[in-house]
Amino acid sequence: MGSRGLLGVLAGVLLLMGCHRPASMSIAESGKTRLVYWTAPNPDELALARELVAEWMAANPDVEVVVQPIPAGQSSEEVLLAAVAAGTTPDLCSNIWPGIVEDFVEAGALVPLDQFPDFDSLLDARIPETVRASFRSRDGHFYQLPWKTNPVMMFYNVQLLREAGLEQPPRTYGEYLEAARRIVADTDGDGLLDRWMGYRDIRPIWWQRYFDYYAFYIAASGGRTLFDRQGNLAIDTMASNRVFAFFARLYAMGAFPKAVWTSGGSRFIQEQLATDFTGPWHLIWLEKNAPPDLTYDVAPIPVPDDHEGPVYTYGDYKNIVIFSTTQHPEVAWRLARFLVSRKADRRLLERTRQIPVRRGLLDDPYFAPVFERYPILRHFAAQAAYTRSVDSVPDLKEILDALAQEFEAAAVYGVRSPAEATRRALRRIQMILDWNA
Amino acid sequence: MRRLGLYLLLGIGLVGFAYPFVWMGIATFTPEAEIPELTLLPSRWTLEHYRLVFERIPVWRGLLNSLVVALAVTASVLVFTSMAAYALAKLHWRGRETVFSLILFTLMIPFLLLLIPLYTLVVRLGWTDSLLGLIVPFMMNATGVLILRQSFLTIPRDLIDAARMDGCGELRILFTIVWPLSVPALVTVGLLTFIGSWNEVLWPIIVVREVQWMTLPQLVALFAVGGGAEGQLGPQLAAAFLLALPIVLAYLFFQRYFIQSFATSGLKG
Amino acid sequence: MPERVTKNRRWRVRLREAQQGYVLVAPYLLHLSVFFGYPLLFAFVLMFHRWDIVTPMEFVGLKNFWRLMRDDLFFRALLNTGIFLTIHIPLQIVVALFFAELLNRPLKGRGFFRAAYFMPVVVSGVVITILFQQLFAFDTGLINRMLQALGGEPVPWLVSPALAMPSIAIMATWKNVGLYIVLFLAGLQHIPRHLYEAAELDGANAWQRWWHVTLPMLNPTMVTVVVLSTIGGFSLFIEPYILTGGGPLNATLSAVLYIYNQAFYFNHMGYAAALGFCFAIVIFLVVLLQRRFVETDTWS
Repeated sequence: MGSRGLLGVLAGVLLLMGCHRPASMSIAESGKTRLVYWTAPNPDELALARELVAEWMAANPDVEVVVQPIPAGQSSEEVLLAAVAAGTTPDLCSNIWPGIVEDFVEAGALVPLDQFPDFDSLLDARIPETVRASFRSRDGHFYQLPWKTNPVMMFYNVQLLREAGLEQPPRTYGEYLEAARRIVADTDGDGLLDRWMGYRDIRPIWWQRYFDYYAFYIAASGGRTLFDRQGNLAIDTMASNRVFAFFARLYAMGAFPKAVWTSGGSRFIQEQLATDFTGPWHLIWLEKNAPPDLTYDVAPIPVPDDHEGPVYTYGDYKNIVIFSTTQHPEVAWRLARFLVSRKADRRLLERTRQIPVRRGLLDDPYFAPVFERYPILRHFAAQAAYTRSVDSVPDLKEILDALAQEFEAAAVYGVRSPAEATRRALRRIQMILDWNA
Repeated sequence: MRRLGLYLLLGIGLVGFAYPFVWMGIATFTPEAEIPELTLLPSRWTLEHYRLVFERIPVWRGLLNSLVVALAVTASVLVFTSMAAYALAKLHWRGRETVFSLILFTLMIPFLLLLIPLYTLVVRLGWTDSLLGLIVPFMMNATGVLILRQSFLTIPRDLIDAARMDGCGELRILFTIVWPLSVPALVTVGLLTFIGSWNEVLWPIIVVREVQWMTLPQLVALFAVGGGAEGQLGPQLAAAFLLALPIVLAYLFFQRYFIQSFATSGLKG
Repeated sequence: MPERVTKNRRWRVRLREAQQGYVLVAPYLLHLSVFFGYPLLFAFVLMFHRWDIVTPMEFVGLKNFWRLMRDDLFFRALLNTGIFLTIHIPLQIVVALFFAELLNRPLKGRGFFRAAYFMPVVVSGVVITILFQQLFAFDTGLINRMLQALGGEPVPWLVSPALAMPSIAIMATWKNVGLYIVLFLAGLQHIPRHLYEAAELDGANAWQRWWHVTLPMLNPTMVTVVVLSTIGGFSLFIEPYILTGGGPLNATLSAVLYIYNQAFYFNHMGYAAALGFCFAIVIFLVVLLQRRFVETDTWS
């Protein structure tokens, strides 16, 4: 029996086993069109989504929208992939990481959005022409509507820096290292350091690298990602080497602790850390948990000393997609459009302190009251124009994982030179790409 | 003097193997800050860790899932593998030796080769996120067949022939005559299967993602790895202690059977 | 005539018996073909494909194996398993033999000691791992606290890339050794007395008697320890999953953990199947070598 015969038999077996997938559940009850809308499972965003949807339903009485948090699981991406595999995706979802979109497109799970006549104008209101390409899929269509972004920036403890003689937050690697020299200390004299310049989770978890290696790489390279427009691997090795070297210095001098803190709350609010690299969603948490006398502000992440031009960073984009399991793409599109309206954007900004992807956010008087109330948000809104997302390539997770492995080796443990680490990462990434070619 | 040395060494072993469990038990009632201290007893006892565990993970549900899975697997293994073992030990039929070698062959295939295809099979059957996916693939067990066959071989043929003369069917012979004579082997297979199923954690982690179908070991493992315990030691140890408790209690009462069963399986391997 | 009747009846009894045999073994065989045969066959199909479960399977020929030969992490997992086994197997044999020898002496409470040493064997690996996570912790761990109380330095059990896998090997030894104590003890008790007496007559001293009589007689148990430990080493999962996640610097990445990551983290089912196949081949070869080595050793 040749391999064909074997395959035939197997195909037969598989057919016999059958896949009893339930038909899509978009049942029209009492004549209403029913949509299922999945949103991020955190309480603030869920409440916001419920509120917005209630308003939209009041204006569209013929539609019933069910808002559900993405079911609990190891990670949103995993749950969504499982839903795609099982054909149980919702009509639309607003919490889509661009890194996963290409996989969904390949699986035929998404509705191309550029088929809707007003898509172009809508996209134009959100992103400048220059970054358009990064949201286009490899087949030339657009499947995602940019919704919000969380630019990674440097939170700093104003008081701690001032005590160390710094009136301004450090802007370059040199300034940051100098600040670290003055700040890192053993304040209670027990022989162990207890005040550091910063902290990063050192476990080689790929998405943790958004907040150190990847954001710093984007900044050091003047806004480049890992791949060029044509989808070819194009890592700026110089920038990568510099980021590895910078963090290797920080870990070697003890400015960052080599520890995994999963308990004891945030050391930033306990004034044990001078800086913290994270996104604007952290603001709500700080407002709730930080002691009133903690003075903090936000600045762009440090760049190499000879850096020129604007400082870019990683913007953790979350976008809206419509799944092809929907039976009412037009209705879903109407809801999507509402979710990115000015009104909805303002509520998003106000309620979750996350930055809607919208051009001219700071110039628009409609948003001004929010920035008045939360001045720190201005930094993030200004930074949002200088953010990069992740590349739309398959296997992105494993590619970022390869970089995370090298970050651990070169920066945290210092067992490899920065150049060697970049070389090894490139080799592994190339292997993954060749394998998947 | 030599006897004293002997007992001293044995006592060191005792501390080494049993004390960690005692320490763990005490630590689960110790305030978080005192757990790393070397003192034997805490300054005050607390139920805080257990409160957090019961708040964060559905312990009873997990216990129920684990019990259902382990009992179903054990019952099925006992019934079906003794049928197969009986056919192999006491009945003559063409192909018997082939089937027996086939069963021996399955023992040689490492599970890690079957892991992925077996998972995809469960996906196709739609048994992910259900107890079926945890039970059905393990309803038979080659080691069980070997142990039971070995035991059935020692049963005198005359007994079985006499029963046949009385018109008993083979199934009836198996369950009314052979089973009562093979209690030790049945206990061994039952215990090994039950413990194996109860302690299994890789397979549930792969197949079940929904909390309501998770087994207790899986819940406890994810509780320790994920953020559920907020990085605190006490709750993790408390969860682990809850997981250990049923088996340890059973072990305290039936340790002779446990040791015999495991030793049998070790010798078979 | 009577002879013919009995022959005929015997033949009928045989036929009935054969039928019953097929009926009784049928459920087992059915289950075997679906949950063993099919996955086994499908593994051979899958390893030549790329498949993420979501998109259709795509035939890629030998590409998975091509990648595997260039995959540092595959070799890293092999190396890690090797490190694990070189520590785990000898340690297990020495500790188990030591306690089995102690227990084989005339003493009170043998059953009690044996039961206590055996306890970790029956308890779930999850429990043991969570327990050792605390025992091995650098700052707060019980072992390091004791070392410090005795004036020693804390040991970076799980933090150091060089020590992490040996630490896991120690933990696994602690968990499993009770079983081998029992097996060795049974082995010791079954050595016929007259062998020792004969050796004594030949003028062998205690050490020689142990080396030439005890050790060879325990050979079957040795083989069991070696083979079971090897298979156990290749199926390490929950220990690194909870303790280290495979780190630091992939020092505790085990075969099953790498398969798990490729399959369920990166959705590379085909590649994971290829990994499973290659690890299985390695296990097979290693066990074959061990059997040859350990068993011939007896007779030299």
